[in-house]
Amino acid sequence: MSIKHIAGALTLSLALGVAACGGDDSGSSDSGDDTTKEASGSTATKSEGPVKIAFSAPGADHGWMAAITENARDEAEKLGDVELKAAEGVTDSAAQADQVETLIAGKPDALVILPNEPDALMPVAQKAMAAGIPVIDVDREFTEQGAFRALITGDNYGIGYQAGNYFADELKCSGNVVEIQGIAGIPVTEQRSQGFRDALKRKCQDGVKIVASQPADFVPDKGLSVMENILQAQKDIDAVYTHDDDMAEGVVSAIQNAGREDEMFLTGAGGSKAAMEQIKEGGLYRATFLYNPSMSASAIRMARLIVRGQGFEELTEPEVPSKITVPATTVTKDNVDDVMNLGF
Amino acid sequence: MSTTDAASGEGRSLPIPKPRGRIQLQEYALVGVVALILIGGAILEPDSFLTTDNMLNVLRQASVVGVLAIGMTFVIATGGIDLSVGSMVAAAAVAGGQLVDSGSAAFVLGALAMGIVLGGINASAIAYGRVVPFIATLAMFTMARGLALWLSDKTPVSLFSLDGVRWFGNGEVIGIPSAAIVFLAVTVFAWVLLNRTRYGRYVVATGGNREAARIAGVKVRWIVFSVYVISGICAGLAAILVSGRLASASPIIGNLYELDAIAAVVIGGSALAGGRATIVGTFLGVITFALIFNLLTLMDLAVEIQQITKGLIILAAVLVQRRER
Repeated sequence: MSIKHIAGALTLSLALGVAACGGDDSGSSDSGDDTTKEASGSTATKSEGPVKIAFSAPGADHGWMAAITENARDEAEKLGDVELKAAEGVTDSAAQADQVETLIAGKPDALVILPNEPDALMPVAQKAMAAGIPVIDVDREFTEQGAFRALITGDNYGIGYQAGNYFADELKCSGNVVEIQGIAGIPVTEQRSQGFRDALKRKCQDGVKIVASQPADFVPDKGLSVMENILQAQKDIDAVYTHDDDMAEGVVSAIQNAGREDEMFLTGAGGSKAAMEQIKEGGLYRATFLYNPSMSASAIRMARLIVRGQGFEELTEPEVPSKITVPATTVTKDNVDDVMNLGF
Repeated sequence: MSTTDAASGEGRSLPIPKPRGRIQLQEYALVGVVALILIGGAILEPDSFLTTDNMLNVLRQASVVGVLAIGMTFVIATGGIDLSVGSMVAAAAVAGGQLVDSGSAAFVLGALAMGIVLGGINASAIAYGRVVPFIATLAMFTMARGLALWLSDKTPVSLFSLDGVRWFGNGEVIGIPSAAIVFLAVTVFAWVLLNRTRYGRYVVATGGNREAARIAGVKVRWIVFSVYVISGICAGLAAILVSGRLASASPIIGNLYELDAIAAVVIGGSALAGGRATIVGTFLGVITFALIFNLLTLMDLAVEIQQITKGLIILAAVLVQRRER
């Protein structure tokens, strides 16, 4: 049927149009940078001309992940001499690996990647390194040293540990705590859980009881239903430890709907603007722990320095460090104003 | 209750064979399963499971997927499938959220309108574009999610001020959650539509044997078109219920709701291939899964156990259906 053909052609042109309009072009200009510090190693350095960086992150299905990609893009634009080619939007590791392969084929000067699952993306990262493309690993750590040149990550264990200390102090080592995790089984979750438990054990031995621990997949509607059910089971809750600010919104709704805000306090993680505003107001939402998506912007900067053969000015060493852990700052009413600008 | 067979009376009637026996067995089996869960829960969690508060909680939670599953029943009855309902919920919520400054009524209209539009796109592609339902709704699954993220700029909109919308999610009428009332109303309406109107008979006939229905004078294209619009409307309704409870229009909600809805329809006894549909079965299926989720969370069991349990129940339900043939 001709109508079907016309419809098909229209849909295809619409798709191409959306792709073209949605695509990103960051400007490039001749930078005339001097190479002040020579980097050794197999990576060729480029003192002039645009730095071509390929960027890959999983699909932005929550605020934190969306901020990662946005921060990377913004930073590339700010730097001026960086040409960013970003691939994003896939939610499974195999698809991300395919995307990275495509990116590598375009011969970028560096690859900045937040791997959906580090194990699954290691082969393609190693491939990039072998081809002379330095890989900057963001957030989720590759376990093979040869798979990346530099790593910048938040401190998941540190978030858990600081949260545990905070809870130990606020609860004076006695009470019932509910834990709402993110996605069960991934290292982020394991570390945030373990850090929390270790700190509680160290400070309180068995004084604080974790009465329920359920995952809510980093999404608010799951946080809502899970907390609603836990509220039914637990009639005496002193505090709630959640792994993520976005997800915590749903948990907060559940507690408010049940009218039990005065019974307990809640903490999140990540550092979203909405969370910081609630912390400022005071009440149920007592604290959050920074896990700032600004690390992708830093990763772009690191990539650029590596390609230019430079290191951090403030450090004596001539090369960019291979592992950087960004500290997990505790944000409470006392210091929320200082960090409000970092909220995503 | 299964579809009624060809009665005399209004205009054209269709000689549809009435599989009453099979579906009734399925429904009785499901009532038994629900009873088993209730008894098991009372034993395992005596203090918190069988309380009025908790049961109302379960009903309230079941309403979101419940409304979706009712719509899905119509779609599956025609032999189709709608994989996009979860994403449509997010898109509808976000669409309503864009109108947050205009009040609750605007939110409700916005969400329903988006549901109708997206459902209409599915419907057009499937009924007139002759695209296979799986593919068409799979495409909408990603498009609607993208639309939700794009329209909302990836940030949720607070609905704290919209008391009307929040009432839908969280209010009560003589002690019964308003969300549950919406769910029950939709269920009753759908039951009447499927079992007591000509439209309902045509829907099942289209699924049972499309060619025969077409020859008998049923406008099958229009029937197929309509069920996807129904699914879209249900997505809009579900969006209102969940956004009301969350007091927030978020673009990242609705993950995998479609699988829950389909599972509920299947264990309820409606045939996945179409031609046999039961609203009561779907209702019981939704309640079954909601009770399981509730009980396993109350028991603080690992999420993997929940998933395995859910999968086993779906498998068992399908095997029971097969044995009856």
